[in-house]
This record gives sequence, structure tokens and C-alpha cells, in this order.
Amino acid sequence: MIINKIILIKIFLIITVICLTQFFSNNSNTVEPDEILQDQKQELRARNISKNIRCMVCQNQSIDESNAPLAKDLRILIRNKIKKGNKDKEIYEFLTNRYGDFILLKPPFKLSTLALWLLPLTFFAVGVFIILFHNKKSKKI
Amino acid sequence: MKKQLLILPSVFFLLILSIFFYLLTIDRNPSELPSTLLNKNVPKFETESLLKNEKFISSQEFGNETTLVNFFATWCKPCRDEHAYIQRFSNEKGIKVIGINYKDNPKKTIQWLKKLGNPYSNVAVDKNGRIAIDWGVYGIPETFIVNSKGVIKYRHVGPVTKKIYRKINLIIGENK
Amino acid sequence: MVPFLGNFFLWLSLFFVIFQFFISRKNNKLKFITIAVNGLLISSFVSFFLLMYVHIVSDFSVLNVFQNSHTTKPLLYKISGVWGNHEGSMLLWILVLTIFNYFIFKLYNKKNSTFVSKALETQAFVTTGFILFTILTSNPFERIIPTPENGLGFNPILQDPALVIHPPLLYIGYVGFSAAFSISIATLSLENGEKIPWHIYMKPFVLVAWTFLSIGIALGAVWAYYELGWGGWWFWDPVENASFMPWLLGTALLHSLIIVEKRKSLQAWVLLLSILAFLLSVVGTFLVRSGILTSVHTFALDPSRGIYILAFTALLGGYSLILFGTKSKKYFDNNYFTFFSKEGSILINNILMVVVCSTVFLGTIYPLLVEAFTNNKISVGEPYYNSTVIPIIIPAILVMGIGPILSWGKEDKSKTFKKIFPSILLTSIMTLFIFLIYQSYSAVGIAGVILSFWIISNNLVILFKKNTNLSSGMIVAHLGIGLLILGITGSSIWQEEKIIRMKIDSEIKIKKNNIIFKKIDEIVGPNYVALQGNFWVYDKKKNIITKLKPENRFYPITNNFTTEASIHTNLFRDLYIVLGEGNLNDGWVVRIYYNPLVIWIWIGALVIFLGGIISITSNLKKLKSLA
Repeated sequence: MIINKIILIKIFLIITVICLTQFFSNNSNTVEPDEILQDQKQELRARNISKNIRCMVCQNQSIDESNAPLAKDLRILIRNKIKKGNKDKEIYEFLTNRYGDFILLKPPFKLSTLALWLLPLTFFAVGVFIILFHNKKSKKI
Repeated sequence: MKKQLLILPSVFFLLILSIFFYLLTIDRNPSELPSTLLNKNVPKFETESLLKNEKFISSQEFGNETTLVNFFATWCKPCRDEHAYIQRFSNEKGIKVIGINYKDNPKKTIQWLKKLGNPYSNVAVDKNGRIAIDWGVYGIPETFIVNSKGVIKYRHVGPVTKKIYRKINLIIGENK
Repeated sequence: MVPFLGNFFLWLSLFFVIFQFFISRKNNKLKFITIAVNGLLISSFVSFFLLMYVHIVSDFSVLNVFQNSHTTKPLLYKISGVWGNHEGSMLLWILVLTIFNYFIFKLYNKKNSTFVSKALETQAFVTTGFILFTILTSNPFERIIPTPENGLGFNPILQDPALVIHPPLLYIGYVGFSAAFSISIATLSLENGEKIPWHIYMKPFVLVAWTFLSIGIALGAVWAYYELGWGGWWFWDPVENASFMPWLLGTALLHSLIIVEKRKSLQAWVLLLSILAFLLSVVGTFLVRSGILTSVHTFALDPSRGIYILAFTALLGGYSLILFGTKSKKYFDNNYFTFFSKEGSILINNILMVVVCSTVFLGTIYPLLVEAFTNNKISVGEPYYNSTVIPIIIPAILVMGIGPILSWGKEDKSKTFKKIFPSILLTSIMTLFIFLIYQSYSAVGIAGVILSFWIISNNLVILFKKNTNLSSGMIVAHLGIGLLILGITGSSIWQEEKIIRMKIDSEIKIKKNNIIFKKIDEIVGPNYVALQGNFWVYDKKKNIITKLKPENRFYPITNNFTTEASIHTNLFRDLYIVLGEGNLNDGWVVRIYYNPLVIWIWIGALVIFLGGIISITSNLKKLKSLA
């Protein structure tokens, strides 16, 4: 055990000396201080967009929550676009033009997602119908 | 009417399972994405060239002949694994290969290419990953085929393997 | 030797389970059934503990140990490493199946022998499927030659106390539904099934499954909250959905069983739900294990496993659902009832639960459908579920608040207002109180707080009213749901965060707390090394509240980094600090989250669990009085 610990410390020291920042940067997650915009309204917009953009290399995580380098790049890109005065819609378009609908955590409403958006409503309607149907019949007892 | 409806749950259930079955049996990689750039023109960009003392201008590099575009970095291990195949494209097949050096140290890259051999006719420097975003790249290595009209015909995510090497050759043959 | 024995006992359990399958087809062979059931239980126990043994002693001649363990791993995680991987978790799954098998057998008496035999036959069939699956595609006792010197290690992100018991609890949940499934099949297959009190047999199993599933899901959320380091605890990941869907159906099933008991209605519905709950559990496992979806927690990528489980599920599902389609006619009734009554409110909730479950199912598999039928790919993430599930759940919660107060049969409308008046009053007072504290007024926040207090006060009112014949387990569990909603609302609506770069001795204010970054240390743990920040937290009167020590760990064996958030919890809020990258000159990136009311999520889950346990004991009493 003691030997193991010594080895670990050695490994650790090597890492700390050589490339600590680089390694630990893998580890830092979500938005970083240097990214944050001065204008609070703009920053809020950036956060909202980021929450709807999927981190491509992670699964079902938004870039707002992710520590992947690409997520960070995209966060900065979104903020730069906001600073330049781009609208939210333009930013979403920019991203889907490059990464496809896959990058949106909230799927767009189109032909292929018609069922995805309409079926929950249908389920709900059927449910309400069953409840009402049951209620009408209740006079039997 | 009601009695026939009772069979519906089993029908739905088996329907869904058959879709799963279909997805399991086809050759598919769940983490691979279709590129939205297929059949579109290559993104325009200008940046430093790693190998030449002049700017790398995309409009001058693409659109003359079928070109392979390879996103790579020295810090990415799979890039080293696929390097032999990338070299075979340029050395054996005589295909023009453009490298895009992703978030890397230029000096290290030049050394890396000296050591392993340089298959690239030109290498664009993508210092902050901005070019990769325009190409819809999400993990390197990635390899694209651009035809002689400057249109993207194929994209592969991950290292080029023997299987992919053959596939790329086939697609290049079709697009000549 | 030991791995060989383990394998031997695994095969022995296969033998016993096949024996049980055939012997229980022939009726009245009690002696043989006893041998089969006990033999199966013992052999699966032994094989499971032998696997645990080889993990504890780090026998690297076993592939499973080599791949998932290491000599430097702490003992606790060596033990939990048994079910921290696909093969080992299958063995646990089998063990739980055989335990439930044993409890089904305990129902056996002279009057119900045909019925219980049929249920045992079904359970044996299910168990055979999983044992065969394990032996053929995922045998945990597979050897590796030559024996490696040390193991490959273990994903350190899974090295967390919450994850030690999370899988066993979830499995009790999933597999508990197998017993309900078997009882349902037995009921449908028998000619005189309606004469058997099958719903009384089924209810304890459903209660156990639901209770343990609830606490299992909660522990998964605890793990995400403490380990993943961004203050969140639920991401609508397919794996989470896979456990959430059976839970929703289980909730519906549990409540429908009450109607079967009191009103002899909804019997066919209950039979269908119990089949679906188990099928969804298996399909969930399938989704996770086959690699058909990629997901944060995915265990293994192996299509042959996928095809096996798929075929097995098709067999189970096809058989049971067709049986339901052909045999369930006599379980339909015309006992309709008004929805302004207790059974009416249960029915409404039932249907809403099923609607939510269908929606979650749709969201989970839709990306697959799009991929299969178009050449596109889409993501379905949190924003989708927020905009579909929440609007359906809100009316369900409203109804849930009032349901227990209403009478069976027909509610006297003139008295209803009088009954709910105290809870309306209480809700208003508590809501005002909360807003005085937090002073934040978003619409969703208001809705969430009102809903949670609506449930809490309704149940408190019932609790203080004497001589009600309502089950105390139910009241406790409902109270738990109320607390849970309070915690969820608080933590997701009023969360505040500060993301800054801090140098040593610098100070930051969040809400009314001052936080000083005192120092940073290098520390050495059992199988990791870490950088540990030291933050002192003061309140506004400059009294020190706590010292928080978030860590950045590095696990050299698997070459992994993890963040360990450091959290100070009280009844009103969590202070959650995560250390990011940095160095002495520029300072470190520090994320501080102020998460209101999070503790109530965990308290709520515990209270729900407690309510479940109370109900289980009272139902077991009922069962005993029957026999």
C-alpha cells in the first residue's frame, strides 16, 4: 500500500509540474468565468441558447453543462454572435446548418417530428376522452 | 368492437420491437452522425498554412480535383493510428490530401509530419477550432471527400481503418 | 477453483429453474416444487457470492474481475464492483428473480395450488431466459489466460456510496414486477382465475417493486447531484427514463389495485398494466445493454446481447399480450363511476400516469424511429420533456391532492368544500411564507410551490383527523411526494450560480454568504490523488458556517479525472462548490451554486420509501389473514 501511494504521489507530481492546467482543464465543467459576457441580458440569452444545444460528444447533455472542449468552443461562438448582434434564430440556424437537427435538444417541429410533438397531445386527448366516457356511464349505478 | 381492440397492445409491442430489431441488425454506429454538409460546397475560409509561407485560401485549394480533407492533431492518438492509411491515399493512389491541423502546436506538428511522413499537399492551421465548426466536425480525426467541383461527397468520423480505406477509394472512384 | 465453482452453481441454477418449469406444469407435486424453488434460490445465492468473493480477493484469472477491478480499489467498491458491470449485474438480476420466485412459492396453499403453480411456471420461464442469457452471452466467470498481474481498474465516476446500493434497489424494483407479471399470466391462463384473490397476491409484490424503484431512482439522482458536479440531478437520459417509465406504470398499477380491491372494477386494466410494467423493465434493460442508444451510463456495446434480449422480450411480450387479448374478456365489467369520487380521482391519475409514461417512451425511442426511417438524426432532450411532461403532470398533482379526501362511490359536493377548506387555507399560508423567504415570483415557481403545499396540507389534514380508515402508508407516501415537489421546484427555479476565477484569500458573496478561498492542498486518497480547495463560508454576521473542500481527483490507474463537489446542506438551501482548472498565479475557476430546498428532494424520497414500507407491512398482514 505504501509503495502504491508513493508511486501515486510521483505520478501526481509529474502531472502537476508538466501539464496540470492542460489536464485539469479536461475536468472543468460548464461555463467558465472568462466566457461570461458583461451585459447581463446578453449573457442570459447565451445561457438559454446553450441549454438547448446538445454537446455533440456527450450524450443528452447540453453545452451549458458540458466540459467537452467543443462545447466550450460553441459557447464562446454563441456569445461572439450575440455580441455581434445576431438574433437567437440566426444562431440556431447557424448551428443546425453545420451540425444538423441533432444539435438541438428540443427537436424542431417538422414533418419527421410531427408524431413526436403531436402524439403526447393525442395521448392526453384520449385520456380525457376515457375519463369523460367513464363519467357519463356512471349514472348506471 | 371492443374485443378486437384487445389485440392492439400486442400489435404495437411487436411493431416497436421489430424496429429495434431492424436497427440492431443493420450496420450502424450509434454515435456517428450524418453530415448536413453532404452535397454542399465546402465552407470558405482563410487561414495560415503550416507548410507554405502564404495564406491558405480554401477557394484556391478545392474545386480543381477530387480532394481528401483530413482533420488531425498530434495530440490525438487515433490520428496517429490512421496516418498510414492517409499516406497510402497520397502515395499509392495519388489523391490530393489536404490536412487541417486542429488546435495544435505548429512546431510539434511539423516534427510529427517529419517523423511519420507527410501525406498532405497543404495543411491549414485551425488554431481555435473555428474552421472545424464550419465543417460540422465534432471529434477528430474526421475525413471528408470533396469532388472536383468543390462539393462534399462523403464524411467519416473517427480513424480511417482498412474497411473505411476501401470505402473511401470506392467513393472516390465513383466521383471521378 | 472458486470461479469454476461459481460457474458450476450458475449452471446448477439453470438446472433447477428448468426443473421448476416442468414440475410446476404438473399440479400437486409440492415436494418437487419445494426442492426446485429452494435449490434455485440457494444455487443462485452461492454463485452470486462466489462472484463477490473473487472480486474481493482480486482473482484476476476471471475476466470480469480483470476488466473491472484493481488491487488498490477500496473494499466497499470491490463489493459493489460485482454489479457495477454488465455480467455481474446480470447475476444480481438472477438472484433477485429467484428471491421473488421464492416468495411467490410462499403463497402456496391447498386452495390456490393450481394458481401458484402456474405463476411459478411463468416465473421459472422468465428466470430461465435470463440465466441462459447470462451463460450464453455474458458469463461473469469467464477466465482469462494467462492471469494478468493487476486489473484494468474501475470507472472512478462510479465510485460513490450512492451507486453502491443504487443498482440492487433498482433491480428489486424491476424484478419485483416480474412477480406481478407471473401472477397476471397465471390469472389470465386459468379457467377459474376470477375466483382466486389474485389482486391480493399481487399487491405486496407491486408495493415492494414500486417502493424500491422509487428509492433506487432517488439514489441515482443523489449520485448525479454529488458526483457530476453541475448542481443538477436529472437529465432525462435514456437510462434514467428506463427506470422512470416502469415507475410511472407501477404507480398507476398500485392505485388501480386499490379500485380492484374496493370496487371490483378495472381488473383487466390491472392485468394489462402488470404485464406492461415488467415488459417495460425488460425493454429498458434492453435499451441500455444493447448499445442501440448511446448513453452516459451505457454498460456494454454488444449487438448479440441485444438480439438475445430482444428475442426473449418478443417471446415474453408476444405471449403475454396475446394471452391478454384473448383471455381478458371476463375481467371487463360495467362498474363505471363518477370522476368526482375517490375511485374517479384514482382513475384520472392512472390515466395521466400512463399518458406521461407514453410520452417519455415516445421521447426515448423517437430518435431511433427517425434514424430508422429517414437519414437524419435528432436529439430529444430536457427541453422536450419539460414542455410535454410537466403540463400533463400538473393536473395529476392537483387531483392527487384532493383524491384521498373524497369518498368512495359518490362524493357529496356540498361537503367537499368544507373538507378542503382547511387545506386551501394552509396552502395559502405556507405559500406566502415561502415567498417571503425566497422573494422570487416566476409562474412555474408559484405553481410548483402551491401544488406541493396543496398535497402536504391535504395529507396533514387527514393525518390530524381522527378515525379515518385511510392507509397510513398512503398518507406518508403522498406527503413524501409533496415534499419532493417542493424540493424539485425550489432547486430548479431559484437556483443561483456564480462562476468566477478566484485567487487564494479572495472573497465572493452569494446570497447572504461570504465565501473566502483560503488555500489549496494536494492530497492522496486510497486510489487517487487530488487537489483540494479550502473555502470558508461566513454568514452576514461574519460567523463561520462551514469549511467546504471541493476536490479535483485524478485516478492514475484508469487515467480519469473526477470532480468532487463540496456541499453544505441545511433545510433551506445547499451551498455547492466545484473547483475547476487554474493555477496559483491566475487563480482557480470556482463554481458556486446556491440550490434552495434540495434537501427536501431527498427527504421526500425517503418519506415515500417509508410510506411504501408501511404499506408493505400492512399488506403482508392482510395476506396472512387470508391464508
